[in-house]
Amino acid sequence: MEYRIEQRMDLSQKLGILADAAKYDVACTSSGVDRNNDGKGTGNCISPGICHSFSADGRCISLLKILFTNECIFDCRYCINRRSNDVPRASFTPGEVCDLTMGFYRRNYIEGLFLSSGIMESPNHTMELLYQTLYRLRNEYHFQGYIHVKAIPGADPVLIERTGYLADRMSVNLELPTAEGLKALAPQKQRQKLIAPIRQVRQIRIQNRQELTLYRHAPKFVPAGQSTQMIIGATGENDWQIMKVAEHMYKKYELKRVFYSAFLRVNEDSLLPVLPGGPPLLREHRLYQADWLLRYYGFETDELLSEEKPDFNLLLDPKCDWALRHLDRFPVEVTQADYHTLLRVPGIGYRSAGRIVKARRLGTIDYGNLKKMGVVLKRAVYFITCGGKQMYPVKLTEDYILRNILDGKEKLPPGVKKEPVYEQLTLFDDPRFSV
Amino acid sequence: MIRVFLCEDTLTGILTGVYDAWDSRLGHENVRLQSGGYENMELFCEYAEVPPDLEKADRVLRTIRTRLGEEAYEMIAYAAAYPHAGKADAIYRMIVVGLHLADGQKVSGMLTHPDVRLVFELRRKAWHIAHRYMGFVRFRELKNGVLFSGIEAEADVLALIAPHFADRLPLEDWAIYDRSRRKAAVHPAGKGWVILEDAEEAFAGLQELEEESRFDRLWKIFHRAVGIESRSNQQLQMSFLPKKFRPFMNEFMDC
Repeated sequence: MEYRIEQRMDLSQKLGILADAAKYDVACTSSGVDRNNDGKGTGNCISPGICHSFSADGRCISLLKILFTNECIFDCRYCINRRSNDVPRASFTPGEVCDLTMGFYRRNYIEGLFLSSGIMESPNHTMELLYQTLYRLRNEYHFQGYIHVKAIPGADPVLIERTGYLADRMSVNLELPTAEGLKALAPQKQRQKLIAPIRQVRQIRIQNRQELTLYRHAPKFVPAGQSTQMIIGATGENDWQIMKVAEHMYKKYELKRVFYSAFLRVNEDSLLPVLPGGPPLLREHRLYQADWLLRYYGFETDELLSEEKPDFNLLLDPKCDWALRHLDRFPVEVTQADYHTLLRVPGIGYRSAGRIVKARRLGTIDYGNLKKMGVVLKRAVYFITCGGKQMYPVKLTEDYILRNILDGKEKLPPGVKKEPVYEQLTLFDDPRFSV
Repeated sequence: MIRVFLCEDTLTGILTGVYDAWDSRLGHENVRLQSGGYENMELFCEYAEVPPDLEKADRVLRTIRTRLGEEAYEMIAYAAAYPHAGKADAIYRMIVVGLHLADGQKVSGMLTHPDVRLVFELRRKAWHIAHRYMGFVRFRELKNGVLFSGIEAEADVLALIAPHFADRLPLEDWAIYDRSRRKAAVHPAGKGWVILEDAEEAFAGLQELEEESRFDRLWKIFHRAVGIESRSNQQLQMSFLPKKFRPFMNEFMDC
């Protein structure tokens, strides 16, 4: 029998464990803040963010995404680091995190630090350690790059506020879309406790905005805003409920982003579902598409989904799906329609809509121009006219458009796509297509 | 007879070409600009070589900035960095169009005009490449404390990314060397950056710091640990990070 006696781990072992433990966190964006270097330290931020590498799963690596520690007093069923799991545990010291961050940043490996943590001893103790790390990084190492830090629910509001003045983005994970789901899978966490720091950060941000209008050089509190994430597919919520929660977070708490993470079964647990097709990646993709429609395209959840039709059509992107159900609003004349109408046309994004509006003041638009401006004509062609003409003689009917759009343009996993079935016409045919 | 002005493939070269073409007073339809060398020479054309001239280029640049605005200036500066046979002529035509408008600032929005659109597209492409290199450049620390990086960019991005790194690492000595153009952006600590031409010898026989292998190893460990196996998607990774970038990124070396 072999015994493993606990021994001192070196930095590379710790990094291996704590990066591995942090990888299930989705957010890795470095966007939302523009900050020049003041000439006395290292680092700056640009608002679009920068991706520095891509991992084998195709996700962007922008920040050094690590847990401070993977020791945790909680026992959430979906989490690899739960108390009852037998996994190797490790903790950094603040100095180690600072050295790693600076070493990586100077070599242009990363855009900044993403620091999350398991709950060691108590929320306050953990938050204190995160604060110390950030304090040293900002004040001893004069680091001016991007920092994303987790606010630990249940920690002293004073600690959260002090940490917020050092970070660019803060986030609290909602974990599961509804309070019932949370109760089932993470009984030690309460919805109200998770919301409390989000509410607090929002309030301080509002105060801070007023301070900044009075004093331009006042310290900035969480300048890149808040984000959160939810696990999709672990509990029985439908897409409508999930989008409702996301919309609520955007409207009420002014969140910058809500991230969706397809459920991965990392623990054997009787309460967790077994998903035969692997993680629901396509569903996650549709939710992100709809999320963009909420934030940039002026859509509301209730336009896209309803209680009667609670889930997205996996075959179609949500915007196409919406357009097919509202064919009475099409075709749109691109030379005349206003910006907001253009935004709702499948195949026209917010950038190309902006370009169309700008360009048509100074010249005539034709289909060739539209293509060059970035309009995806293979989707848009069914929904627009340009100068009163359609590009090809297409029919504005639901199954004609659906059949053509589904004709192998978007790559769908095998088995998802079913050809629309041709049926014998009857006098009492229901013209509506359903999948 | 059309006169073709052959200018050097740099912003200075192209703007000098614009000056000379306009100054020739042959009429806009009788002149053409071409950057780079002699390629596919045509009959019924006379060719004139234009040596790059900082003073002429500067005068054109000032005109662009005052009459056509900063947006157009940025478009032209970025487009000039992208390798494209028609860019010099498109830049010339764009300036001609802009200077004939009552409000020259509007030229940057005239995307229905084919030449303006080409400049716009090239600017977008050059910006995409520059933005990628802002992330994909990898520095190694040398024995003398200099952070050094080698790249082989398809567009001339050095002047586009150097301001970003100068702002980011103001207290470091760093250099980015573009092997395919044998140029380097060099930044001494606490000072401004410069572009060094024909920098081949300056960067021969560089020696790395011993500590370098430690961070190199740590980064590889991190890069491997952060990927999720059950979501593995090599194709997605390939589309975001094509193989042409990988020879210069340490996480893709020897593994």
